[in-house]
Amino acid sequence: MLILTRKSGEGLFIGDDIRITILEIRGKQIRLGIEAPTSVVVLREEIYRRIQEENLQAAGARDVDVSEIAQLWRQE
Amino acid sequence: MKIMASDPQTTSTDPAVFTTKTRNFGSIEVRSDQIIYLDPGLLGFIQYHRYILIEHHREAPFLWLQCLDKEGLAFVVVDPRNLLSDYQPSPLAQAMRDLKVDQAEDLKVLVILTIPPGKPQEMTANLMGPVVINLKTRQGRQIIVEDPQYSHKHRVLPA
Repeated sequence: MLILTRKSGEGLFIGDDIRITILEIRGKQIRLGIEAPTSVVVLREEIYRRIQEENLQAAGARDVDVSEIAQLWRQE
Repeated sequence: MKIMASDPQTTSTDPAVFTTKTRNFGSIEVRSDQIIYLDPGLLGFIQYHRYILIEHHREAPFLWLQCLDKEGLAFVVVDPRNLLSDYQPSPLAQAMRDLKVDQAEDLKVLVILTIPPGKPQEMTANLMGPVVINLKTRQGRQIIVEDPQYSHKHRVLPA
């Protein structure tokens, strides 16, 4: 892992088009400003992991599952 | 089984047809104008971009989102309006701009279902990570909704 030390107001670039700025440091919290192209996904880690984990679970669906849920749906 | 043409109004003059393998349907024929490009790809599968939507059961709203870049990768999806009539998370507006959706009817919103093996009654819908598609351009992406009223494990059927 690359480790950099920055002060409030300073920033860094990742490649040519992703810019991260340290906006404010207050106690244990840091406010970051992130400028990135819309094609880049920027998410808090816990949110990213939650969606990724849900996608991984969902990817295991089988044909028989759809037959079963279609039947359950029609019964509702 | 029917692959959904992404834009039924447009009849492409001579779309290329090719055969692809799928886990659930064996080999199927796909026309180039049926392909949906997800960019970025789904979280956890960002390297895969080409998908098709397959209708499976006429009497139920569920669809398969089948990946063309990895034959074993397929998701069960549903239009969230079948689950919540007022599903309208705020990031949809930005997604429409990013995907250059001009008219609301060109926007397709789908949510991914998770079906616990052997417990279909307990299936959940991921309302935090809808897949949005511009039917005109066939470009789409998974957007993230951070709104406490929308769960990533929304129960679809009553317990």
